[in-house]
Amino acid sequence: MKPLDPRLLRHARAARGFLAAQVALGLLRVVLVLVFSALVAAAVVSGAELVGASSDWPLAALGAMSAERRLVLLLTALAGVVLLRAVLTWAEEVLAARAAARVKSQLRAAAVRALARAGDAGLDVDGDVDGDVDGDADGAGLGVAGGARAATTLGPGLDALDAYFSRHLPQLVLTVLAVPVHLIVLALLDLTTAIIVAVTMPLIPLFMVLVGWTTQSAQCRQRDRLDTLGRRYLDVVEGLSTLRIFGRAHRQRENLHRLSEAHRRSTMAVLRVSFLSGFVLELAASLSTALVAVSIGIRLVDGQMVLLVGLTALLIVPEAFAPLRQVGATYHAAADGLAAAEEVFAIIARGEGATTRPAGDQADAVGAADSGAGVARGARLEVAGLSVDRGGRRVLDGVALTARPGELTVLTGPSGVGKSTLFAALLGLVPAAGGARLHGPQGEVPLPRAAIAWSGQDHGLRAGTVAENVALGEPAASGAEHAGADGASSVRSALAAVDLAALDPRRRLGVRGDGLSGGQAHRVALARALHRARARDCPVLLLDEPSAALDAEAEQRLLATLRAEAAVGRVVLVISHRSAVIEAADQRIDLVPGADSSAAGATAARATAAVATRGGRR
Amino acid sequence: MTGRTTPTVPTTPAMPTAGRAALLRLTMPGWRRMAPGLCFGALSGLCAVLLLAASAYLITRAAEQPPILYLSLLVVGVRAFALARATFRYLERLSSHDAAFRVLAELRVGLVERLIPLAPARLGGRRRGDLLARMVSDVDQLLDRPTRVIQPLVSSAIVALAAVAGVAFLDPSAAALLAGLLVVAATAGTLLHGALAARAERRTAGLRGRLADEILELVADLDVLLAYDAVEAQLRRVEDVDARLRRTALRSAAGTGVASAVLAAASGAAVLGLLLVGLDALEPPRSLGPGFLPRPGEVDPAMLAVLALVPLAVFDVVAAVPPAISARRGVLASARRIVDVASEPPGASAGTSAGSSEEPPAPDPSAPDPSAPALELIDVAVRRPGATAPVSAPVTLRLRAGERAVVTGPSGVGKTALAQGLVGLLDHVGTLRVGGVDAAALTGEQLRRRVCLIEQDAHLFDATIRANLALAHPQGPEQADDAALWTVLEAVGLGGWAQAREGLDTPVGMDGVLLSGGQARRIAVARGLLSGAEVLVLDEPTAHVDPAMADRLHEELLGAAGDRAVVLLSHVPVADRLVDHRVRLRAAGDEPDSLI
Repeated sequence: MKPLDPRLLRHARAARGFLAAQVALGLLRVVLVLVFSALVAAAVVSGAELVGASSDWPLAALGAMSAERRLVLLLTALAGVVLLRAVLTWAEEVLAARAAARVKSQLRAAAVRALARAGDAGLDVDGDVDGDVDGDADGAGLGVAGGARAATTLGPGLDALDAYFSRHLPQLVLTVLAVPVHLIVLALLDLTTAIIVAVTMPLIPLFMVLVGWTTQSAQCRQRDRLDTLGRRYLDVVEGLSTLRIFGRAHRQRENLHRLSEAHRRSTMAVLRVSFLSGFVLELAASLSTALVAVSIGIRLVDGQMVLLVGLTALLIVPEAFAPLRQVGATYHAAADGLAAAEEVFAIIARGEGATTRPAGDQADAVGAADSGAGVARGARLEVAGLSVDRGGRRVLDGVALTARPGELTVLTGPSGVGKSTLFAALLGLVPAAGGARLHGPQGEVPLPRAAIAWSGQDHGLRAGTVAENVALGEPAASGAEHAGADGASSVRSALAAVDLAALDPRRRLGVRGDGLSGGQAHRVALARALHRARARDCPVLLLDEPSAALDAEAEQRLLATLRAEAAVGRVVLVISHRSAVIEAADQRIDLVPGADSSAAGATAARATAAVATRGGRR
Repeated sequence: MTGRTTPTVPTTPAMPTAGRAALLRLTMPGWRRMAPGLCFGALSGLCAVLLLAASAYLITRAAEQPPILYLSLLVVGVRAFALARATFRYLERLSSHDAAFRVLAELRVGLVERLIPLAPARLGGRRRGDLLARMVSDVDQLLDRPTRVIQPLVSSAIVALAAVAGVAFLDPSAAALLAGLLVVAATAGTLLHGALAARAERRTAGLRGRLADEILELVADLDVLLAYDAVEAQLRRVEDVDARLRRTALRSAAGTGVASAVLAAASGAAVLGLLLVGLDALEPPRSLGPGFLPRPGEVDPAMLAVLALVPLAVFDVVAAVPPAISARRGVLASARRIVDVASEPPGASAGTSAGSSEEPPAPDPSAPDPSAPALELIDVAVRRPGATAPVSAPVTLRLRAGERAVVTGPSGVGKTALAQGLVGLLDHVGTLRVGGVDAAALTGEQLRRRVCLIEQDAHLFDATIRANLALAHPQGPEQADDAALWTVLEAVGLGGWAQAREGLDTPVGMDGVLLSGGQARRIAVARGLLSGAEVLVLDEPTAHVDPAMADRLHEELLGAAGDRAVVLLSHVPVADRLVDHRVRLRAAGDEPDSLI
């Protein structure tokens, strides 16, 4: 573990100012500690003088005073120092908390933006390669499991940095400042004491490094195991209803017990070694106090030293070790915090590595947000030579198709052939070779994301009202306060088109659309795509299994709506298995698996076969 | 992911304190197990105080230049306390952590046992990000109780008491002063801390959950946000919650800062106060000699040094109190959130008589009557927990062995709820008979041995196909032989696929990520076939499977079911030749549907 990661200073600028302020406060604290020690020692010596002992005073002015006057002076000064120390303690804590909170915010902001950027560039944001997923790869996004992991890393994970900032770093700064200052002061007071401390002190970092080496690999293994344990536990909790159905829920007791017990045993084996570093710290600190006390005592007996110096030195020695002990005590908490920061840095690095998508593809989408990217309806969608590789496997290989405005085009093909991946590629959510272009009356342009209204397999609903979900990306249309205005009516008509006229647009949904049934959620997502197509006048409408959650009558009503959307000059491209949809289509494109299947059964869809059928129901 | 639906979140009443107390008891290792750690902790603290006191006494006495012989005992003491302090501290950390890890096992198991009766109806509706935060961090937080709350509180209390007693030997008024300042530091520091920070900390807990949810929504459905130009808005939502969290955290820090400042001030005041009291009672030193023992109430300059230095060591130990109190608040907040999940609202036990008992099966009260219908529903409707009105209109259906019924209805009408009711996971009204036996006479577990539900989103465990199938075996996973597993795998059409992979040892991944949606569902159905239940309830087995496959799947599944009775809940059409009965489920209040 690096004591201070330079990346922390780079990504979180709040950390720099904090460090400077911390140095100032640390110096003040060192001075106060030294003054406090000297004052206490002087008070005790003055007391001894009251009852007959004689003593030398380093300052002539002090020596000239009467013992009583000197005591009044010393104790008043002591009270002042105590007060100052209290104020300083408060300032240090508030400063550390402020720094921790701001650094966490800055890291979190950088990380979520990096995640968004990586998703935009079509990268897997968690950096994993989904090996042989048989279903349709769905493009950007982590899905629930990966999302939960990111949420853990950026939420409770980052909170581990609190300990680093509020406890570890201040002590680290203090150690760097206090140890030399204390040593110099001790050397001025009494060279022998300074030498004893100077000899015992380096033993601490030395031994801690040794222990650190021996436990590092064990700790990594331990972290892995803890991770596994946490995942296993979550697996059981999520699967409780399944376990309950098969009467296996109670059998999990032994299972979890065994797991936790194995975990305890291996953790304790590691701790036995890693706590040794703390042991050495404590031992060095207390032994040096003992050695100093004994050596001072012996020299006092011999008359080689005065009591004032001896007592002051005795008080300073533990203070010299205190920050170092704290560094050791907070080492593990700080290591957790830095490990969490490490994960965040990795996320940020991936986001930085994500190059923005090629110009002409996304560039035109950025500026023209509300006009369907300037592409008018009535344009023809031409896909040519579109290939997608996912996880080292070719999923789509040179797909070509044409979808005409005014027509309902249905895309069919066996499960797993890559239909949803094709949509993701059109949206620029997965990296793809080849491309899609719009041929309109005004000429041809690459298909911008802003020209597409899309609904996928997963509904992707979020917390908020139904209206906010339907009008996603159109904040003006979602406000409940404009109940009578255009916005709300456009939401209502989109909901009506998917047979959800009865659903209150103001109804609040939970996180990820919680509160709706699966079918309802799917239809709200569909309404969202229709709403976008109308609000932004998108020339292209891409729908993945739009009628999956509908019964036959509702399906017919939806088909009529889609036909109406096509009639105003949109390209309507629909993935569907449903025979009613296929019958109603003007064109059917069949995505077929390629011939070259490997041993693993991986097949790249060559999918060029475009079988046009006329569903003569116009 | 939305299969477990709870359209209306059931009202959770104020958390029963009994529930929290029981949960907190789970986090206690028991005093016997904690005793060694507490002893070592107190001894280590005492040695730290004695080390400083003995050193100060030694030095001040040495300044009187007595014969060095009389100091040798002090020299030995100083060295012994130094060694003992470090050793006891090491032993304390080891034994308290060992005790804490033992609790973790109990805690995890205990929590799962509390959650079992709530699954699935009362768990799905929870905010997912929150549920995750709860399970991962709250359980760990509860673990802090023995190590970071009780251990420091008890050992610093012992050390403080011993130090006050020691000072009382020298000067009772000094002891009273020290005790008073210790109490001021402990209570004022923690009370101030509490008053200033408790509210903010409570608020951060909720905000943390919100933040996790917002990040989850950003990351899990990034494709949707990208496609709708809503990424920026979501980023702003994340940053918004983050900023609120930051403000709350800062407010809390101002509180903890005051607590530490009070502690520092009290420590300094104790040094000052004990010096004053000691100076007042100061008398000339008796010289060291054979048989010298400090006398009660005798304060010489060496004892004055001890009085001045002891508070420093004692307050060093007592400084552990505010963090412990703060950790305790964190533990209580976590316990409260866990209990919110794990406690049930009154009157919403998960089942009538069926399902209320989760004990290992008692002997089945009555064997199924072969001449009776396999499944009989007379005006059966299902209620969600906490609700009084049934979800949908009552259903009547009589199904013999080998017969198939299909239940259709618009989505949202309560098909999934009905399916859960048939296996006792939800309350039902009306009469439900299985093999002629009234379900009310069966425990939930007995009912589920006879009627097996294949959920729409059945969970796949992060293990092999073998493990995922075998858990359904009626005699336990150990009894499931490969032949039986291959048979059910073939029956659901996954035999060839599995053979091309690693056979029964093919991993499915966390949440089945290595499988397609269709494959996951087939494995779930295979589990149902293996379970040996006489009645299968299939909840939407063909959702997200292509129609050609859907028909084949229906045919294969219904064929594989053999002489079992099957209730199929589906919104897609099922071929007439496959079905004996059709029921259309209507919303509550509509005319009841009779057997067709």
